Order: sequence, then C-alpha cells, then structure tokens
Amino acid sequence: MQASRVVRALQQARLSTAHGTANPSEIAHFSRLSSQWWDEKGEFGFLHKMNPVRVQFIRQKLLEVFREEGNSERTSEMGIIDGLDVLDVGCGGGLLSESLARLGARTLGVDASESNIAIAKIHASADPKLDTLSYLHAPAEALLESPKRYDVVCSMEVLEHVDNPASFLSTCAELVKPGGHLFLSTISRTPLSYILTILLAEDILRKVSQGTHTYSKFIKPSELVSFFQEHRSTQEIFQLSKSWISPHCPPDAPPRTEAEIRGLIYHPLQAKWTLAPRHAWGATDCNYIFWVRKPSLDP
Amino acid sequence: MFAPTSSRVYYVTAKRYTTRLPVHRAISTYEEYDVAIIGGGPAGLALASALGSSQVIQKKLRVVLIDAGDLSKVRNWSPPPGTFSNRVVSLTNSSQTFLREIGAWDHVEASRTSPMEEMQVWDGVSDARLKFSATEIGLDVSEDGMARLTEILNLQRGLLRRLEGFSNIKICDKMKVQTITRDSEERGGWPMVHLESSQVLRARLLVGADGFNSPVRSYAGVPSFGWSYDRQGIVATMVHAPRGAFEGPNTTAYQRFLPTGPIAFLPLSPTISSLVWSNRPHIASALIGSGPDVLANMINAAFRLPEVSLRYLFNRIVEAYSKGNPLSGSEIQREIFWREQSHSVDPNSAFASAMVKTREGVPPVDSQFVPPLVSMIQAGSVASFPLKFNHAESYIGEGIGGRTVLVGDAAHTVHPLAGQGLNMGIGDVESLTRCIHNALIQGGDVGSYTALQPYARERYLANHSLMAAVDKLHKLYTTTSEPVVWARSVGIEILNELDSVKAAIMTVAGAQNSKIHSDMTGWNFAAKGVESFVATAQVAKTLSGGLSGIIDTGLHNLLGRR
Repeated sequence: MQASRVVRALQQARLSTAHGTANPSEIAHFSRLSSQWWDEKGEFGFLHKMNPVRVQFIRQKLLEVFREEGNSERTSEMGIIDGLDVLDVGCGGGLLSESLARLGARTLGVDASESNIAIAKIHASADPKLDTLSYLHAPAEALLESPKRYDVVCSMEVLEHVDNPASFLSTCAELVKPGGHLFLSTISRTPLSYILTILLAEDILRKVSQGTHTYSKFIKPSELVSFFQEHRSTQEIFQLSKSWISPHCPPDAPPRTEAEIRGLIYHPLQAKWTLAPRHAWGATDCNYIFWVRKPSLDP
Repeated sequence: MFAPTSSRVYYVTAKRYTTRLPVHRAISTYEEYDVAIIGGGPAGLALASALGSSQVIQKKLRVVLIDAGDLSKVRNWSPPPGTFSNRVVSLTNSSQTFLREIGAWDHVEASRTSPMEEMQVWDGVSDARLKFSATEIGLDVSEDGMARLTEILNLQRGLLRRLEGFSNIKICDKMKVQTITRDSEERGGWPMVHLESSQVLRARLLVGADGFNSPVRSYAGVPSFGWSYDRQGIVATMVHAPRGAFEGPNTTAYQRFLPTGPIAFLPLSPTISSLVWSNRPHIASALIGSGPDVLANMINAAFRLPEVSLRYLFNRIVEAYSKGNPLSGSEIQREIFWREQSHSVDPNSAFASAMVKTREGVPPVDSQFVPPLVSMIQAGSVASFPLKFNHAESYIGEGIGGRTVLVGDAAHTVHPLAGQGLNMGIGDVESLTRCIHNALIQGGDVGSYTALQPYARERYLANHSLMAAVDKLHKLYTTTSEPVVWARSVGIEILNELDSVKAAIMTVAGAQNSKIHSDMTGWNFAAKGVESFVATAQVAKTLSGGLSGIIDTGLHNLLGRR
C-alpha cells in the first residue's frame, strides 16, 4: 500500500530537523487531553458531533466537482472518496481520518502530538475495517520531503492553533496534487465567535478546556480567500502564473468552481451541527469550513 | 417471554453479566461482525431484512442474527386450511409501506390477512360510541383499510423467506447466547457474544431484539421502568357465521372498553376473527378454565350486555370455578338469557345473543353495532399473557455497555389496546436502518454513540408519548375514581376521549408515506388529549371538594357574625 510506504520512508528520514509551524504549548495542551479523544460525550464531544457534517461537506463538494467533470465512476453514493489519497493534517485522535478511511480513502493522518497519534493508532487497531488508514507523528512540513502528494488534504480545526498560518497554509497547499482539493475548517475572528467559542464554551459552560482557543489566532474566511488569491506555488514551475482563486473576485464570494465557504452552525437544543446554506447571512461568523481547489496542470 | 411479577410496580435494575471466562476463551478465535442481532422475533427479522435490502448497507456490513429457537419451524409454518394462529397484529399502513420497501411484504401470504376498513370503539359504561372508516380518514386506497390484520407467524415467515435471498446476512438459529462480555479496553471494549457452541462473535454493534427480558439490555446496563397492569390478555381464534348480504364484509374491528379491560374483535376472514380481551387475572383464568363454550358465550355477551350484568356474570363464573365446579356452556347461556330479559333486550335485536341461532335473511337494524355472533372457539387457540408497561431508560448503551442498541419489546412493552406494540417495533427498525445508512455514507462507525444518537432521538419521545397515551387510556377506562366515573356518566367527555384515540389511529394509519414525524403529531395530540381530560377530572374533584369547603366556611362566617 502506497500510504504506508510513504510512512516508512518518512520515518527513516530524520524528522527531528523539521520543526514545523505547530506551537509547542498547543501540542502540550492537546497531548494532555489526548486520552479523551474518543469519549464521545466528553471534551471532544463537539468535534464528534461536527464530524459527520464535515464529511458531508467533503462528499458534497467532491461530488459536485466529479459531476461537473463527468466523472461517472465517482458519482455513486459510496464511490466518491473510495480509493483517493487523502491526508489529514492535525488528525488528533483520528476522528476524521477514520471516517475517510471507512469511505475507502487511502488515508494518512499526521499530528505534531505524539500522544494524539498513539491514541489514534490504538483506537484504529480495534476496528478491523480500517486497513487503508495509517498514522504518522510528524509536523505537516516533514511530508514535503517526500514527493508524495494527495488528492485531498484536510486540516480540520487546526489553523486556529498554529503559529504561522501563512506558512502552514503554504505547506498544506503544497501537499495537494494538481487538480486536488484542500478542505479547512476553523473559526472566524468576530465578536460572535469570541462570545461562543471562548466566553461561553470555555469560560462559562466549561464544555471545552480553558486555553483551547486564542482569539487573535482566529482567521476570517475572507483572509483565507485573499491568501489563495495571492498564493503561488514555490516548487511547481508550471503553476507560477496561476492563482487558486481569481484575483479579482470579492473575498467574501469566490467563484463556486474555485472555492467555497460554508458556515457550521451548532444547535444547542438538538445538540447537533448543521451545514449552513450557501451565502446564509452571518453563518460564517463563527465556525466555518472552507474548500479550495488547486489548479490542474492542463492549461 | 413474560415473567410474572408479584409487585405492581417494579424497577428493573440492570444486572451485568459477571461470568468470568477462562483466559484462553478470551483470546481464542472469534468472528467479526458489524451488526449482531440477538432475537429472531418480528423486530429482529425485520431489521435483518431491512439491512439486507439496502444496497449500501449490504455492501459494507456483515450481519448476523442469532435466535435460540428453531426458525425453520416458522419458515415452514403451514397451518391446516381454515385455521388461524391466535397471535394477530394490526399492521398500520406505514408499517406495511416499510415492509413493502424492504421487499418482505410480497412474502407475506396476503390471503391470510384482512384489511380493517372500519373500526367501532365504545365505552362499556356510557355506551358513547365512535365509528370511523378508511374512506372517512381520507385514504385513497380503500382496499388497504386503516390497517391490515396479520398473524405474527405469517409476517415472521414472510421475513424469513425474504432473508433467504441475502448472502451477507447470516442466520444462526437453535443457538443460545451463553454470555456477553466486553473486549479489552485497548481493543475498544467491543461486545463479545459467546454462543453455546463455544463460538465467539465480536460485534461492532450489538442489537437487542431479544424481548422483554432482554439480555442485551442487561449487558448494556440500561435500566428500565414499568409496572404490570394486573390484567391478563386472553387471545383466541373465534369462528362465526359470515356476515349477511345486507351487512357488508367482515372487515370491521370492534373494541369495547369495559372497567375490567377492553375486549377487541379483529377480523381475519369472513368466518374467522381474532380475540384480544384484557381482564382481571382471576376472571381471565376462570373464563379460560370454564372451557371454550363458556368463553364463546361470554365473548358474545361482553360485546352486548350492560356492564352491570357482565359484573354479575363474571362473579358467577369465578365463584363456580373457584368451587371446582365451573359453569357449563348451557348454564352460562341461561344466565345470559336471564340478564337479557331483565334488561328487556329485544330478542330480535343484534344485542341478544343467548338463545339466538344463526340468523338468516334480513339482519336486525342494529347488526352493525356489534361483531358477528361467535359460534365456536378454534381448538387449542386460547392463551393468555400478563399485560405490562415497560420502557427502557435509553435505547443506546453507553460507556462500558457501549455499542449496543435496543429495538422492539427489548426497548418497550405496551398495553395491546391500541394494537401499537409491533408497529412501534417496526418504526424502530425503520429508523435504526436509516440511521445506520446515514452513518455509513458519512464514514461513521455504526456502533458509535454519535452514529446511533439520531435513532434514539427520533424514537424515544415518539414511543414514549404513544405509550403514555395508551397507558392513560387503560387507566382512564378501568379506574373507579369518582370524578372520572362522573365524567363518564356525562358521556360527552368520553366522546372527546375516544376522539383522541381516533386521531391517533387516523394519523398513524394515514401515514402512507411512512414519515415517522407525522406519526408523532397524532400521538402527541392523543397524549395531550388524555392528559387534559385526566386533569379536568381532577379539577372537577378538587372543585367539588373545594365548593363544599367554601360553603362550610361561608356558613361558619355567617354563624360567627351572629
């Protein structure tokens, strides 16, 4: 299997040289909580509930692209993700990685926290149906040393925890195959998101450990769009002139074939997350999920 | 299936399996299954069929169904012509639609089922009566009726035949589950099912379709609460003359609410119908013990005679039976005849039963108000079982009882008066199947709490309000509490009550597109209706007490002033 070969290659390479953008105190914070990753009603209960909605968005978006391209093999209910090479950056306990592997993706989950990876591995080993899943304790940057690139790169609820988001985004972008997909979910920097994710969830209701989020690290959707309007690949010479999102579109409404931003709304009474409709007013003011597609090599 | 309980209210605290297995058993080989269903009753079989008939699920999941009984007996069930099993269920249209969707209905022998086109429900004390029909509630396919009466064995056989077509679903019958243990913590603590053949199955999801005393529920550590009703349900297959040419077909179900419990007449064929009669245990055993002749006569009387006379007849039967000298058929016939005379029942009326031979020619004008006269009870068809209310506190196991889910009687047991027990189980199966499907297409782990939560969310409240409504209806009609009896004598309130029964049956029956949510509203309405009635009755009681209080103090005040 290709994914595991890459893992082995990477393990042989000296990873210690690559420090990456992950913040050491953030790594320590999540390492402390790692044993709770699979307690569905505990610290990470919100993420467990959010996970099906993330997968729903990934499937919907990929399906939309495959339909537009007339890729009929990939438009069946279970065939959308099946067999794709998928990278989950900052996989934590493996919530998303396991789901993607179950849908047939050759999935690699990486995380900067060693204990997260340990928990993820133990959890996956109990499930006989996860043979397309592998994990690696490494910062995302370490993967750049290998030539392996991915059809889909996901990084969910990670961006708000890294030190240098621009560098982190470049790394993720670099790991995507030409024509591949990048999915990010994070939290916007608005008064609403401060009230909901820090004041309410951490300080008042104590549903999430205090110190999990830092307001100044939150990133607005328009900032992501601007980044990918300006972003140029450093390594792929063919791509030098092409931006991922048309430079002239307004940063809050990128063309649907290039990028999409959707709000993730939590309904406290039903205790569930839903994917907000496109362009729903105010829906992306707190949690949101972002998709962007890397331009393909063909002109 | 039912264990007798001495106390009226019981609380089942979950006992975990504590059997310690030798270490070599724990590490010996086992088979992996995604879904292990314990119990081959209608709910378990329906779930297996539903999982098998979904393309996505069939491709992704390995399913096994385990039952201690010999299911080949059910699969090869072929009753002698003209006889019917005594366990009959009224399948609502939404249940039928679901069974059709999973391809099982084609395997149910349609000629052994009967549509219920009309239903008559009346109060045994006030005689307030409601009548409603399939056309009246706006069903366009009137041949389907409001529900379809089906022998449970016919349904089970159909489901088993449907299951023969699936390669991915394994049926393990004649196989007892010895114990259920939990895999080690590092291995995720998945349930391990130990069979008496010393086979071990490791299950991603363990489904308890294993009835009232559910071992899966015990393993899951889910407590349940409930009580026994102090009532026995008598079932029997009744033989009667066909309806006359002027009377229409035998497709009307009758139910009379008596203070001892409701008696229901459910049509199966032109000359055969099924009885469900709930009664006090001592009366039930005396009725059964006095032989089929007495039972047949009493069934006819119970649908016709005023309540006061029935009370007298029950006493006569119990008295004679307890003295070891049960009444004979002709004796009870004479007694009934005397009661009819004392109530001046016109011998030509349909309400006379004692000395009436099979009627020919023009039927009495009131013949539609009562079921046909029962002439005979099918041999060996009389049985009885204790009636209970029981509801698990949760449908999903958590923590060390995780990866478990309950459906059907393992989750809930309800009074049969609304005929909803099995339909609730089928509703569970439909919802759980949808939940598993949704989890699968989103890459979810079908044994996880997150994946199963929508099932519990969808079914728990829906079932609970239905069960509460049925429970309150039972209590309402069997209570001797004064204000309720007073309200009954007014009649009009009771009519409203029957209205909520009607509303419930109408909505459930009318949900042809099998949308669970529309069912809920009907029952919620019903539950509310009953609640408000009971509340009104209590207000009436306090009001009458309070009024006399006010008058008293008023008088005292007046006297005091003097």
